[in-house]
Amino acid sequence: MSRRDRMMQDLDKDIREHIAIETQDNIDRGMSPEEARYAAMRKFGNVTRVKEEAREVWTFVWLEQLLQDIRFGLRTLRKSPGFAAVAILTLALGIGANTAIFSLIDAVMLRSLPVHNPSQLVLLKWGARNPPDTHGYMSAGDCRNDLRSGADHPSGCSFSEPFFREIAKANLFSGTAAFANTGRLNLTGNGPATVINGQLVSGEYFRTMGLQPALGRLLDATDDAPSAAPVAVLNFGYWQSAFGGSRDVLGRTIELNNVPFTIIGVAEQRFTGITPGSDYDVWLPLSDGQRIGASGPFRWQDRQADPAFWWLTIIGRVKPGTPATQTQAVVSSVFRNEMLHGSVPIFHSGEPGGGPALIPGAPAPAGGNTIVRREIGTAGPPPPAAGNVPISGPPPQSAGNKPTLLLGPQTMAPTAPPHQTESASAPHTLSTVTDNPEVSLVPAQSGLTGSRTQYSNPLYVLMLAVGIILLIACANVSGLMLSRASARQKEMAVRLALGAGRARIVRQLLTESVMLSLLGGAVGILFAYWGAQTIVSFVSSNQARPLGFATGVDLRVLGFTIAVSLLTGIFFGLAPTFRGARVNLTPSLKEGEGSSTRSAHRPGKWFSIGNALVVAQVALAIVVLVGAGLLVRTLQNLRNVDAGFDSHNILLFSINPELVGYKGPQVDSFYRDLQGRLAETPGVQSVSYSMMPLLSNGLMVTSFHWPGTPQDQQSESDMLGVGPNFFETLHIPLLTGRSFNASDFAISASNNGTTPTSAPTPVIVNHAFVEKYLGKENPLGKRFGESAADANEPASPGYEIVGVVHDAKYNSLRREINAMMYSPQSAGGASFELRTAADPQAILPAVREVIAQVNTNLPLFDVKTESQQIDRLLFQERLVARLSGFFGLLALVLACVGLYGLLSFEVSRRTREIGIRMALGAQPESVLKLVLRQGLVLAIVGSCVGIGVALAVMRYLASMLYDVRANDPLTMIAVSTLLTLVALVACYIPARRAMRVDPMVALRYE
Amino acid sequence: MSTKEQRERIELLQGTLDLLILRTLLLGPAHGHAIAKAIEFKSDDVLQVEQGSLYPALHRLIKRRWISVQEGVSENNRRAKFYRLTAKGRRQLVVETSKWDKLARAIARILRPAE
Repeated sequence: MSRRDRMMQDLDKDIREHIAIETQDNIDRGMSPEEARYAAMRKFGNVTRVKEEAREVWTFVWLEQLLQDIRFGLRTLRKSPGFAAVAILTLALGIGANTAIFSLIDAVMLRSLPVHNPSQLVLLKWGARNPPDTHGYMSAGDCRNDLRSGADHPSGCSFSEPFFREIAKANLFSGTAAFANTGRLNLTGNGPATVINGQLVSGEYFRTMGLQPALGRLLDATDDAPSAAPVAVLNFGYWQSAFGGSRDVLGRTIELNNVPFTIIGVAEQRFTGITPGSDYDVWLPLSDGQRIGASGPFRWQDRQADPAFWWLTIIGRVKPGTPATQTQAVVSSVFRNEMLHGSVPIFHSGEPGGGPALIPGAPAPAGGNTIVRREIGTAGPPPPAAGNVPISGPPPQSAGNKPTLLLGPQTMAPTAPPHQTESASAPHTLSTVTDNPEVSLVPAQSGLTGSRTQYSNPLYVLMLAVGIILLIACANVSGLMLSRASARQKEMAVRLALGAGRARIVRQLLTESVMLSLLGGAVGILFAYWGAQTIVSFVSSNQARPLGFATGVDLRVLGFTIAVSLLTGIFFGLAPTFRGARVNLTPSLKEGEGSSTRSAHRPGKWFSIGNALVVAQVALAIVVLVGAGLLVRTLQNLRNVDAGFDSHNILLFSINPELVGYKGPQVDSFYRDLQGRLAETPGVQSVSYSMMPLLSNGLMVTSFHWPGTPQDQQSESDMLGVGPNFFETLHIPLLTGRSFNASDFAISASNNGTTPTSAPTPVIVNHAFVEKYLGKENPLGKRFGESAADANEPASPGYEIVGVVHDAKYNSLRREINAMMYSPQSAGGASFELRTAADPQAILPAVREVIAQVNTNLPLFDVKTESQQIDRLLFQERLVARLSGFFGLLALVLACVGLYGLLSFEVSRRTREIGIRMALGAQPESVLKLVLRQGLVLAIVGSCVGIGVALAVMRYLASMLYDVRANDPLTMIAVSTLLTLVALVACYIPARRAMRVDPMVALRYE
Repeated sequence: MSTKEQRERIELLQGTLDLLILRTLLLGPAHGHAIAKAIEFKSDDVLQVEQGSLYPALHRLIKRRWISVQEGVSENNRRAKFYRLTAKGRRQLVVETSKWDKLARAIARILRPAE
């Protein structure tokens, strides 16, 4: 029994008691019992009202009324299931689309980091007026780095290991952690060899993040020591997929790059990496970096002790109670001290003799000195200025799982020849006082951007599109409600006449519309769940690695949906509601239904809420359609771009024999051997290899001195190392000169290796190179880029052009074709290109067999066809084009349903009028025209308004477009024609019904 | 009640009933009828409480936790609800009383400016 019921029972007793006492008093005063009781009752007053008032004290009256309204609303909806279905479906589409896109935005941008109490984590970020003078700089794309010397304020979040150790030792944070990518790891010891992706983390990493093991234990400080045995922690998902979730993995040994690691545990399931979107298979102690990277690219020997090699991202957990500004000041002063007074001679890092040995092991694709930005002009200027020059390449976006290779400082590191150092006179420091180097602590949540930035633009565009669709859906349902409101005028009049307050009626109508929108939202969540899954699987199928974003409906998304549904309900409910409550009583009650509706809406009156709603819907649909049209045309344009080579029937796979111990010349002969074997495989027409495949997003730019330009001026060209038969295999026509021969490869190999020759490296350039540098001059035999030995570089014989090929796209379809040179590939990892006669996928088993014959421990990775590669390259454009196209059609359909609804209602409302017209002799055609005209005028007015809005809005889309202008007239015309045609169909159905009105029936209509 | 009586008696201002109930209960717990009688008696029958309206007011005060209820036995040996002032109600009475004083003084000043 509720408190209210108990109180009411007590009240009954109280009242009886009260009246009994009063009656007794009256009797005592000498009244007759009957009179006494009557007087007592009179004195007490209206018992029922007293009870009502007392009951109200204990009741949420509005809640009871709300329940009443809901019950009534449900009854009304059940009475018109057609209306309810259309309205709920429309709203479900609108709300579902919004929820789907929002759930993606939530997953990619809003969700908090998957660690304990993420708000305490801060990211260390350096900033200075000029980029620091590092030996090497690496970033795994965890946050934004801007190292351009011309940048407004260079900044980044990679630091040296000595700096990290100093900060960790200073005990400024309750936990300090550093991490970096391992790059690709070759895994053996668990079935066939595979390539996995790992992260090196400092000993305190897991403790700082506050993570728990799902199995075994996580890395701790004792594991992160040079003397400690190599151990590994597995990602939960990787443990499930690669080890079947077996508990026996503990203590098992796997070999990573030929180094045995013992598995000690599995991290908790939700954690795939601290940075949003990251997904690592294993975590290894920082101290093991040298072991697994010893044969690999980037100067592992020095990295751990070199304060000028910046490669670690640092995260700290702030101590509760210590102000962040105080910690920041201390960190900053440590940093500043290292930068200004560390006195790290720039090219004085390696032991003599240690350096040259590094060159063969240069970054897999970056084959030696050819890709190095030479510092020819730095001999003259004073040391500090010279110090700022080397880091002028574009920021290294990622050195991890994405194949983006930009000429970043990290590619320079291995080539710094240590024996040159004596000539560097003044001591170099990393920075100068005027550079004002400092460190700031930014919240890890916002600082660790990861792959967020990649997705944010398309997501915002899509969010805008679905927002507009929701508006259309609102206008649509609003129109429906409006028609219903006219039909329900009599009901409202009766209610008002019986004494209902207008506020009460407004509340009831709003309850109905909010109920509709909540039902729509509930169905919409189902749509959204399905939609988001579809989008994510589409994205994942086009990524080399699974997407590290878990989408789904969490509380935030649910809250969003409920909020959107409520707002939607109120928004589309308002107009019809006020109209419903503004009924003129007398005529509505007196007259029949037909005439009452006529008085509410006079024919021939063009401005009405109904018409305005349809115009708005059409206009909004045009905006979405124009956007979709532009994006679809962008995709088409990109697909039709002449790539300069034949991308059909090419199978691609990558391979890196250096990961399993091949060295220098062995690599080259391995490639030559493999190339020969593959070429003999049935179905293969031609085989070649290159440093990386074309159109894979990977890009390398080199700079050199062009003869005839000032000594300190650097010229630039794209660069790609290629194997024999590259141009023949890819069908890139040779315009003049010859392709590479065996001696070219020999020269290139020695120039890149330990014994440079005096002969220039032969290169083949593209047509754009000739246009840019040579003009009419004969390119063949032209030599450039030679340099004498100076403080920073050994002497280089430069390049000699031996051939010219047709222009071809390099890293992406969007980028203009630049001057480009192809050099003979030597050493490093490579990507093979196989030209096949038929479906490239079909010969994959044969290819695997051939490679297994050569070496069973060598994993293939990134196996795909060139067409798939292009699809992946364009996946973002495809995703956006597809989704916006879908949303455009949705908008079109919704707008036309709105138009149809309005006209149908008009026709049924004007049945009598049409009947009279026809009885008076109007032809069916003129009736048809009457209805069609209204529909068409609305559609055309809407289109014009829509195009006006689109012209104003679309320029924000410009950065996503390719080869089509934001105000492209063709798209605008096509879209409005499409809409008008569909609108015509939508108008025709009610118009035909109007035409068939039987005058006799119509006149008896009421 | 006759029309003559009505003219001599004053209808209660909105909300003042709550104050009167609180003040009455300051003397000790009482049941509903006793409270009504007390208010009538103390005001020399000038204030006429329609006895029924006492009960919604009592429920309001209970909900605000200014008074509490307990079972008791009335003077004619019947079981009845006794209402008792709570500590919170006691504080509220002080507040309400001073509010009332202010109001009364203000109105008095307006009505009889000369005095």
